[in-house]
Amino acid sequence: MKLTRRMTLAAFAGMLALGTAAPAYAADLIAIITPSHDNPFFKAEAVGAEAKAKELGYEALVLVHDDDANKQSELIDTAIGRGAKAIILDNAGADATVAAVQKAKDAGVPSFLIDREINATGVAVAQIVSNNYQGAQLGAQEFVKLMGEKGNFVELVGKESDTNAGIRSKGYHDVIDDYPDLKMVAQQSANWSQTEAYSKMESILQANPDIKGVISGNDTMAMGAYAALAAANRKDVIVVGFDGSNDVRDSITSGGIKATVLQPAFAQAQMAVEQANDFIKNKTSPAKEKQLMDCVLVNGDNAPKLETFALTN
Amino acid sequence: MFDKLTWPILAVTVAIAVTGCKILPTASGETGGSAAAFNPDKKVEEIWAAKVVPYLQQKAGPFPEVHAQAKTDPAAAGAKYGNPNKQANSPWTFAVRLEGKVVAENTQSRAATMDVDVDGDGKADARVQIGPAVRGTALRDSLDFVQFNDFTNQIDFAQFGKAFNAYADKSVLSKLPREALAGRSVKVLGAYTLASGQDLPLVTPAEVEIGLKP
Repeated sequence: MKLTRRMTLAAFAGMLALGTAAPAYAADLIAIITPSHDNPFFKAEAVGAEAKAKELGYEALVLVHDDDANKQSELIDTAIGRGAKAIILDNAGADATVAAVQKAKDAGVPSFLIDREINATGVAVAQIVSNNYQGAQLGAQEFVKLMGEKGNFVELVGKESDTNAGIRSKGYHDVIDDYPDLKMVAQQSANWSQTEAYSKMESILQANPDIKGVISGNDTMAMGAYAALAAANRKDVIVVGFDGSNDVRDSITSGGIKATVLQPAFAQAQMAVEQANDFIKNKTSPAKEKQLMDCVLVNGDNAPKLETFALTN
Repeated sequence: MFDKLTWPILAVTVAIAVTGCKILPTASGETGGSAAAFNPDKKVEEIWAAKVVPYLQQKAGPFPEVHAQAKTDPAAAGAKYGNPNKQANSPWTFAVRLEGKVVAENTQSRAATMDVDVDGDGKADARVQIGPAVRGTALRDSLDFVQFNDFTNQIDFAQFGKAFNAYADKSVLSKLPREALAGRSVKVLGAYTLASGQDLPLVTPAEVEIGLKP
C-alpha cells in the first residue's frame, strides 16, 4: 500500500517534471505469473511477456507459482499489493484460479490469462490459449501417418489437474481411434516430467517390447521417453511430442523424435501484454475474452526454422 | 455462481444474435467443464438438415471462384463464403460447391480421399474427404452461427467439430461407392480450410453425388 503510494507519487512527480502526461510511466507495473521455469515453455512465456512489457514502458514483476494454487493466490495478493496495473497469468488450475482472478478484479487489477483456460468467463479480461485440441489432432495425424495406420503404441499423459492434459489426450484419441489397427497397449501419466517419463517408459517397454510408437502429451515427457528407448537400443520406436521446444527440435533434426506441435508461447504472451496495455491506457478490452491460437506441426521439414517457441520464415 | 455468470453471456448472445441463430448450451461446470450436459452428436443431428445444409447451400460459391479469391484476399473470401467472426488467429474456412471429375483416389487409408479435377485440365484441383476417418473441423468452422465463445471450453468446442464429421460420415460418406472412382463425375457441397503445407485444398463434404462408372 505504502509502495503503491510511493510509486504513484514518483509517477506524478515525473509527470510534473516532464510537463506532459506520458502514455506510460516507468513505474507502472505488470505482474507476470507462470508455472516453474524448469520447463522451457513457461520460461519462454515469461521472457516474451517481460520483453513486451519493457518495450511498452512497464516495469515487470516475474513470479512462479509452481502449479500450487495456494502459492498462486499469495502471488496475486503480492501483485495487488505492489499496485500492479495488470496481471499476465498462466494459471494453476481451471477451477482453483477463478477465485484468485476474481479477487484481483475486485481490487481493480485486470487479469490476462495465457496458455490455460479457467472454467468461468467474465472474470478475466482475456483468455488467450493455444488451440490444444487442434494441435493434438495435427500431432495425431502425423503419428498415424508415421505408424502406417497400424501397430501397438503407448500414450504418455500430462498432469491431471491441468485441463490441457485432458484436451490433448482427447485430441489424440479423436484421430487415432478412427484407426482400429492402431492399438494402445499402455497409457500412463508422467506428470509433464522428463525423469518420470524416462522411468515409466523403461517399465512399459519391459512389459510391451512389441511397441512401435509413443505419443506424448508434451515435449519434456517425449524427451524422457526417447532417452529410455535409446538406452534400450530401441531408437526405431516413433516418438511424437507437443510444445515445440528447442530440445525436441534438436532431436528431430538429428533423427531422434519424429515430430512435435508448436504452441506459439512467445507470441501468445506478447499478445496478452499488448491487450493489457490497451486496457490500461485506453480502457479497451479485446473483442472476445476467449481467444484461440492455432498450433503448427513441426517435423523434419520445418524443424530447423524453430527457435524459442516460434517459427522463423 | 455459474448461473450468475452464464445469464449475462446468454443475454448478450440473444441481443446480438441475428434471426435464426442458435444458442448453444454451455455445459454445466464440473471440473474441466464435464461434457455430460452437452451432447454434440445430438446437437449436430438437430441442426444438420434444418440449418447446416441450407446455410452451406446459400453461402457456398463455386470452387474456382472461391479458391481464386481465397488466394488473393482470404479475409474477403472468408467473410463472403464463411464465418467472418472466426477466431482471429485461425485460418479462414469457406463453404464451397465443387463439380468435376475424379482423377485419383486413395481408399487405402481410413482417411480416404478422392482428387477432383474441376477445370478440366486433367489435373487435380481439390481433395475431397470420403471417410470413414474425417480430418479437421472445416464444416464447423464455416458456420457463422457457431462461435467458440459460446462454449464452456475447448473440449466442448472440439467435440462439436468432430460431431459434424461423424454425422457427415454416417449420413452421407458411408453410403458412397468406394471402388473405381477415377473417371466418374462428382458433385460436392462442403467446406475447406485454407491451410499452409497442403498439397491440395482438403474439402469436407456435407453432400456428395458420384456419377456412374464411365
